[in-house]
Amino acid sequence: MKKLIIFIAFLSFAFAQSQTSLPDLTLKDLKGNEISLASISEGKTVVVSLWATWCVPCIRELDTIAEDYEELQEEMDFELIAISVDDARSTRRVKPAVMGKGWEYTVLLDPNNDVRRHLGNPAVPLTMIVKDGEILFRHSSFTPGAEDQLFEKFKELAGE
Amino acid sequence: MNKLIFALLTIGTAQLSFSQAQTGTFAGGFESNSQWYQDDQGLGALAPRDQFRANNYFNLKYSYDKFSAGIQYESFAPSPLLGYFEGFEGNEIGTYFLNFKHKGLDITGGHFYDQFGSGLIYRSWEDRQIGIDNSLRGVRVHYEFNDYFNVTGFTGNQRLGFEISECTVTGLNTEIDISQALDIETGINVGASYVNRYQDSGSPDLNFPADIGAYSGRADITFDKFFIGAEYVYKEADAFVLDGNVSNNNYQDGRALLVNTGFASKGLGINGTFRAVENMTFYSNRELVGNAFLLGTVNYVPGYTKQQDYAVANIYVYNPQAGVSPIEGKAGEIGGQIDIYYTAKKKSFLGGKYGTKFEFNLAHWSGLDAQFDVPNNTYNATLLSLSNNELYFREYSVAVKKRFSKKLSAIFTAIQTGYNTKIIEGAGDFLNGTSLIADVLYKLPNRRSIRMDVQHLTADADRGNWAAATLEYSFSPSLSVYAHDLYNYDETEIHYYSVGGSYTRGRTRVALNYGRQRAGLICVGGVCRFVPENTGLTINLSTNF
Repeated sequence: MKKLIIFIAFLSFAFAQSQTSLPDLTLKDLKGNEISLASISEGKTVVVSLWATWCVPCIRELDTIAEDYEELQEEMDFELIAISVDDARSTRRVKPAVMGKGWEYTVLLDPNNDVRRHLGNPAVPLTMIVKDGEILFRHSSFTPGAEDQLFEKFKELAGE
Repeated sequence: MNKLIFALLTIGTAQLSFSQAQTGTFAGGFESNSQWYQDDQGLGALAPRDQFRANNYFNLKYSYDKFSAGIQYESFAPSPLLGYFEGFEGNEIGTYFLNFKHKGLDITGGHFYDQFGSGLIYRSWEDRQIGIDNSLRGVRVHYEFNDYFNVTGFTGNQRLGFEISECTVTGLNTEIDISQALDIETGINVGASYVNRYQDSGSPDLNFPADIGAYSGRADITFDKFFIGAEYVYKEADAFVLDGNVSNNNYQDGRALLVNTGFASKGLGINGTFRAVENMTFYSNRELVGNAFLLGTVNYVPGYTKQQDYAVANIYVYNPQAGVSPIEGKAGEIGGQIDIYYTAKKKSFLGGKYGTKFEFNLAHWSGLDAQFDVPNNTYNATLLSLSNNELYFREYSVAVKKRFSKKLSAIFTAIQTGYNTKIIEGAGDFLNGTSLIADVLYKLPNRRSIRMDVQHLTADADRGNWAAATLEYSFSPSLSVYAHDLYNYDETEIHYYSVGGSYTRGRTRVALNYGRQRAGLICVGGVCRFVPENTGLTINLSTNF
């Protein structure tokens, strides 16, 4: 019971103070370069998507966005950073999958799920709009049409 | 009591930090998976003792400057969901940690997760779907001497349900980025690890191994488009265990070789993984060898096969065979898989107007070339021999992803499976199966969409042929409903039907399902958990902040 009280106190405290930001971690890209998560949205708005090679809705989402990616880049400086949460079993598949699919995204690897754990272990796909490390919009799961919502939100938030 | 003090300390630290400066961040999540089980005569399944069961996880992490602290509170009330370790009962703080990070130094006290190399020698992780959390509770120190050399060391006791193991696991890992050190274009990384498990002998035999050490060495070379890597692990002789009984005077060592190679250029990606393992199960407690709940696993030997997303393709799934069992004729496995991703360009013959994506996967796994001495429970195996290998599992699959118009797209999948039921499940005939799946997606106006799949499996053993179909309708990106049926029309005439829906808003997702669950393996990341046949109403709720 005592534990429960502490737990509830902790919980209410947390909600009162809760903030949303990407963790200050360093991840590797497909070439093995270390990229700091803080740097990817420094002074700009980007879309960060958590995905995995085994996750069908994730692939659907990234394939869908890839179709119009060049246009979006030109139109509204749209940029997507795809963080793969593939673990040791499938992390090797990421590079062949990304290249084979011809995706132009910056792809980062989070094989031990540090980013995912920091965000509270969300289900993938998790799509976020991030500016200066702050998470401004967050959506999990993908159904067709969700990409239009994302583009609209991006336009709205990047325009500010 | 210790946990309580820690929790108080965590809060204390957090509040102190706040009074000093109004910074620092909180992040956390809550996940609840509950089910109301029902008796189902059509299925022959009876509701368990506690008809309502729920697994709840609440985690919270506070970061301030160089410090972060977190706890995970878990509640399995009144009992965990079927198929989960029964030792998860009641509610308690499951894991907690305090971390300090400054420049190259990273120190964690409490529960931590880590992995050396591919995990073949050591990996601790959490996966709620398969009910695994083999974090260690202890101290972990990671130090980056410079941008090409780092060392990790830890020691701790593994989490077993709400208890911790009395055995100590200690590890040391080092990684060198040679290309960075020498400033060369070709990526060369090497690493070496040592992991030790200590458990009191308790045996009259003075030679009984209490300390088990495992050694691993690995190297990865990455060129612009081509990469290759290899890892070798040797594990010292540990006592042979049969059904939880530890034997004296029967100590066997283990080894494994993993090779990964691939090619990636725009439009074509190929990846090959080849692995041979002999007696490579590694547990923190020797009594836990082969337990059904994956408790106490120190290393990670996943099944390298393609993770399929469709019901008929998930009935006969490979479960990796890393352990030794002379009576079953098992000493390990050898095999591999190859993945090919190919995109036919827009306006090409195969590509059509929108381009076409192809995915091929070939997986083939067999037993080791070995002789067994069943009365003495010993064996003699040749790790890399390619003769006298009994086929355990093979699967060839192709998926074609095609877009027909702005609104219509489809995925066609064909899978040919060979499944050694005797090896994978303990008894039964070798099964050959062919699955064909069509998955069609149609985008409607106003962000609505409709998805439908039809699936069929032709199988020559066990319960014979199966058919399945799913219909899913999305009212918006936030709200969707589905109806699904998996029908074994050949032998049992059982329908595994389910209906449900999910609602997502911002960081919160609620899903509701009612239906039947087929008994079988639920596999995530090549690691499997068995779920018994059941029927009921399931509610999943998850939120993050």
